[in-house]
Amino acid sequence: MARRVLFNLFAWSIVLAVAFPLFWMIVTSVKPQFELFRRPPTFLPDTVTFEHYRTLLARTNFMIYFRNSVILSTVTTFVVVFLATLGAYSLVRFRYRGRESLAFLVLFTYLLPSVVLIIPLYLMLVSLGLSNTILSLVIAYTTFALPYALWLLRSFMAGVPEDLESAALVDGASRLGAFRDVILPQLLPGIISTALFTFILSWNEYLYALVLVNSDGARPLTTGVMSMLISAFNIEWSLLMAASVMMSVPLIVAFAFLQSYLTRGFGAGGVKG
Amino acid sequence: MADVEFRKVRKAWGKVVGVADLDLSIRAGEFVSLLGPSGCGKTTTLRMLAGLEFPTSGEIRIGGRTVNDLAPGQRDIAMVFQSYALYPHMTVEENIAYPLKKRGVPRGERGPMVARVAEMLQLGPLLGRKPRELSGGQQQRVALGRALVRDPKVFLLDEPLSNLDAKLRGHMRAELVELHRRLGRTMVYVTHDQLEAMTMSDRIAILEGGVLQQFAPPQEVYREPANRFVAGFIGTPSMNLIDGQLAQTGGRWRFEAPGLALELPALPPGTPGGEACLGLRPEHIAFGSGPLEARVALVEETGHETIVVVELPGGLRLTGRTAPGMALRPGEALRIAPDAAQAHLFAAGPSGRRLNAPAAGPGRAAASVSVPASAAHAGEPS
Ligand SMILES: Nc1ncnc2c1ncn2[C@@H]1O[C@H](COP(=O)(O)OP(=O)(O)OP(=O)(O)O)[C@@H](O)[C@H]1O
Ligand SMILES: [Mg+2]
Repeated sequence: MARRVLFNLFAWSIVLAVAFPLFWMIVTSVKPQFELFRRPPTFLPDTVTFEHYRTLLARTNFMIYFRNSVILSTVTTFVVVFLATLGAYSLVRFRYRGRESLAFLVLFTYLLPSVVLIIPLYLMLVSLGLSNTILSLVIAYTTFALPYALWLLRSFMAGVPEDLESAALVDGASRLGAFRDVILPQLLPGIISTALFTFILSWNEYLYALVLVNSDGARPLTTGVMSMLISAFNIEWSLLMAASVMMSVPLIVAFAFLQSYLTRGFGAGGVKG
Repeated sequence: MADVEFRKVRKAWGKVVGVADLDLSIRAGEFVSLLGPSGCGKTTTLRMLAGLEFPTSGEIRIGGRTVNDLAPGQRDIAMVFQSYALYPHMTVEENIAYPLKKRGVPRGERGPMVARVAEMLQLGPLLGRKPRELSGGQQQRVALGRALVRDPKVFLLDEPLSNLDAKLRGHMRAELVELHRRLGRTMVYVTHDQLEAMTMSDRIAILEGGVLQQFAPPQEVYREPANRFVAGFIGTPSMNLIDGQLAQTGGRWRFEAPGLALELPALPPGTPGGEACLGLRPEHIAFGSGPLEARVALVEETGHETIVVVELPGGLRLTGRTAPGMALRPGEALRIAPDAAQAHLFAAGPSGRRLNAPAAGPGRAAASVSVPASAAHAGEPS
């Protein structure tokens, strides 16, 4: 009994520790400026104001950064999911020399710390004439999201029975037709997990964005908000918190919509175990 | 006319040989079973025929046309998979209609075709369900329906009944035979259940280790097993296989093993003497009287017959079967009479080929339970 209570206490304290900053972020973003540094601090704001949001949207580059981030993350996600799906299909379904070693090589590149790759990548992108573009970030993010996505999808793909594809082939489908009609629907939960993972990774990425892009036209939210609101002398706390809230919203919305897909799993039962 | 033909077909993955130099010629409209123990290459053979696996060498023909380079969809075949392979995200109706859709049958014509199959297999009430909402037997019928909805040249069935309970299996066996009779299509049926193969097929191809052992009608496979493997594989309880010495003295052949000596009918000229293997079906051993002494080791009543295992003085064990009601108790001594006229003789070794011609006469009624009384004098006391 006492252990149960203790355990519950422990669990709740962790939940609180995780949730409190989020709560504080939201609260801070709607507090008027003069209330921000009051001591003792107010838990719930006396007056709720949206002036920080208005300022952010109307008088800063926030919307440009936001648009950049949306383009960047969406394009990266599409590229990564497309390549990883085809790659996983090849790694699971076709037999060729060096298939296993290839898979491990891919995993190995994922294990390399990204800091090690950043300078060579930067130099390559410069020589390609791509520095300071959103495309350069798409390429960079793809290089480190793809290996993990490939491994994730490979295990999902391995869970799709080969007989399903064979049946579709016998039923008259082309290889591509069988892939679209039979494999893709089975793979959907895996594709959604992979897409979500890639999207979050690109949305939150900071280091590469900092090194590869330094013009406002191509900056994503992470580095954009940093450079805009944080200087050596001053941190615009209220604007920062408002920006943070708006940065989190797309992810929360995406999760809410896709959560049921993530937990639904495979349409089991078509094939005996 | 040969409808399906394998010519020197071989499949190997590196050193692993799945199928070795298979020659098989199946007539149009024939029901052929591929029978053999697990891992003998049945599925591989079927998948090569379907175009899902490429032969390492050799030629496969369907309807007189070489199909080696044709995709599965172009071979005019339908297949039922060992795992059923129903599309989990489609309803039963969509599953059955899928081959039609892929072959460009207009939407309007698909409905009646699906309905016809659904009626034949009693799937009507299930059409709106997903595969996971069906029982094993129902899934099996849907898989069958998906194959039957078209009218292909050849049906390929890979152990379609292996996941069903005994009763449903018996029922579906009869249904399949009836279906084959009605459609008159060539069917290649993979199974490791000899009862299925024996009762359903026109001919059985027995495989072992990727090598074709015998290809013959069920009765012939039973009566004239081509080699020791087939002899031991076909028949329950299986044939008694006794290793011993074969010798010819004064024009008469004699087989000897510890505790057993048999005078054999004439063998073909040129038969080698020395080590050999004698095969005796359980029904070809008579109990109660005869030249050999034995002791009852085991009695199994199955209801419609009694399986008896006896031990000869030399330690050799023989299985026999008798009509029920013969009161035998373990430990009891009795005399037995092997019917030498019905004996099979094989060369030594695990896959020794057949040495003697099959027995002629009334004994050819293969599964006969009773032993002709005249058989009793065939053996000589040792
Ligand atoms: N892709 C493969 N790579 C290597 N070996 C294989 C492959 N597929 C099958 N084999 C081997 O080929 C042999 C024949 O396999 P197959 O699946 O045809 O057996 P089967 O007769 O259908 O057996 P079962 O009754 O268990 O279904 C087996 O020894 C198997 O291990
Ligand atoms: Mg098999």
